Amino acid sequence: MNNSKILSGTNLSKKYGELEVVKGVTLSVAAGEFVCLVGKSGCGKTTLLSLLSGLERPTKGDVLLNGKKINGASEDELALFRRENVGFIFQSFNLIPTLSAWENVALPLFPLKISNEERKRRATELLTQMELGHRLEHLPSALSGGEKQRVAIARALVNHPKVIFADEPTGNLDSATGDAIMDILTRLHTQEGVAILMVTHEVELAKKAERLIRMHDGEVIS
Amino acid sequence: MNAGYLVRELYHQKRRTLTAILGLSIGIALLVILNALSMAYRQAAHAPLKEIGADITVQRPGDVPKDLAGAVFPCSAVTIRKEEVEKIQSLPGIRGMGKAVLLWVFDTKQAWIVLGIEQNNTIGPAVLRSAVTEGRFLDDGKSEALVEAAYARQFGIRVGDMVSVNGSKFSVVGLMDASRAAKIAVANLYMSLADAEGLAASSKNLQTVSPFAPGDVNLLFIKADQEKITPLAASLKEILGKKATVATPESFLKLLGSLFALSDKFTLAASLIAIIVAVLIAFKTMAGNIAERAREIGVLKAVGWTNRNVVAQLLAESVVQCFLAGILGLLIALVVTFGLSFMKVNIPIPWDMAPNPHFLPGGGDQIYKTLRLPVHIPWTLASFAVLLSIFIGGLTGGLLGRHVAKIKPSEVLRHE
Repeated sequence: MNNSKILSGTNLSKKYGELEVVKGVTLSVAAGEFVCLVGKSGCGKTTLLSLLSGLERPTKGDVLLNGKKINGASEDELALFRRENVGFIFQSFNLIPTLSAWENVALPLFPLKISNEERKRRATELLTQMELGHRLEHLPSALSGGEKQRVAIARALVNHPKVIFADEPTGNLDSATGDAIMDILTRLHTQEGVAILMVTHEVELAKKAERLIRMHDGEVIS
Repeated sequence: MNAGYLVRELYHQKRRTLTAILGLSIGIALLVILNALSMAYRQAAHAPLKEIGADITVQRPGDVPKDLAGAVFPCSAVTIRKEEVEKIQSLPGIRGMGKAVLLWVFDTKQAWIVLGIEQNNTIGPAVLRSAVTEGRFLDDGKSEALVEAAYARQFGIRVGDMVSVNGSKFSVVGLMDASRAAKIAVANLYMSLADAEGLAASSKNLQTVSPFAPGDVNLLFIKADQEKITPLAASLKEILGKKATVATPESFLKLLGSLFALSDKFTLAASLIAIIVAVLIAFKTMAGNIAERAREIGVLKAVGWTNRNVVAQLLAESVVQCFLAGILGLLIALVVTFGLSFMKVNIPIPWDMAPNPHFLPGGGDQIYKTLRLPVHIPWTLASFAVLLSIFIGGLTGGLLGRHVAKIKPSEVLRHE
């Protein structure tokens, strides 16, 4: 890990009508750092993750991701920025049910002008790393929960992101499978040097991260 | 746009794909069938006139002498003077003209329906030369006659016999069975136009109610530019008077009385409705598709697809679906029109165009021209239907792009 900031949020607030979900949060993540955002359900973790990843615009405050201020960007600029800098892992995997495992991994590459062979090569490489080399052509419906999440991790990595945002990545998995997924994320962080910002409400899982940020009622408390 | 994604989406979401394709294909099939039927009725309406090589027939109604003896004109066809014929010939849009004289001749022993024709004119009754069953057709400049085969049988007339019509003798050179070929401009005795004009001009009885001179006629057959038929019909009435009977394909179409034969406006309105229904079906299906796939679209945007990328993908899916719907619609229409082509259509011949005296037994019966409905789908209509389907696909996909832009990944991916 180096100390240069890859991601920072300054005085971030998000209001839905009168309800302020995130209240003046300031935080930063260094390149290659593994940070866990913990807190009770409904405390604003996922909203903060959305603000930091450019999925959502803050009502107030600034987000700097890989040196670029993203809160003023248009929808399409944000999409392109995410494609080049960010990977997502969701609790419910969010795989496209009609696409095979390798096609799901290659999904962020579809709009790029690269050959299908190249897409498949990159997806196969990542799925092999995830020990899913034998499941390339399987549809998500034919995969177990752990396999689906490993496909989702491979998808998050396919564009060589600077930061991976993981929202409760083990929430839908049993504890053994959840541990395996956490091992993969830890390995990614240590071996590949990818910064990870993970949201979880399980303190035990969060202990695997380098740094813990606790949230309560829309604010960072420690 | 990713073709593999498109194919898998259409293949794996069979219910959604089939609903969209079937819905739209019914609209397209309806459009094609309606237009094919409309064209078929129009084509059928041409049949009675086409079989005598004309697009328009003209006659002028008048009076019949009180005493039905000798040569008289039917009340539906009295003198059209030579000057009027010349005036008509000079009208724009007329490509050719045939003339004829139709007479009823009441002799002491028998009644004749006589038709004087221009033997070598391809417009008018002379086209019936192919209906000669025995002997030969009429030669120029000879006083000879053709007799209708059934009439000849009834009265024992044979080729080579001499027949007397209102005191004039004619050599029978052939027998003719025109009953299958035509329903208008038929008679039981055919002679040259000059001979028929002579019979009419020499008939005192006829002259008392409808003065007639050589060169005059009482039936006209006109070949015209198709697009000028309607204005020509109006001009003919201006020359011959409002009571003149001007028969056109349009007037036969009206006699058919079918919904499809009513007007171009009906077909246009029905086609528009079919198109609107097709667009609505496509739009509704695609809108449902997008609502159902909001999370998927959210994922695409989250992983870096721009609105343009997403819209292009959905647009391609929509266009391919609608194209397939167009092809299926066309196939449905082909099957339906094939079935409809076995349908018989009876075109009523107006009493004033029927040559038989209506006061004789059977003379007042309605005559029909019966033919199989000539339904077919021309290439132009088929191409239009497929292109329209593609256009609907593009329109629907494009319109829904705005909805896609409104989907925010954070909102659809928020709640697990």
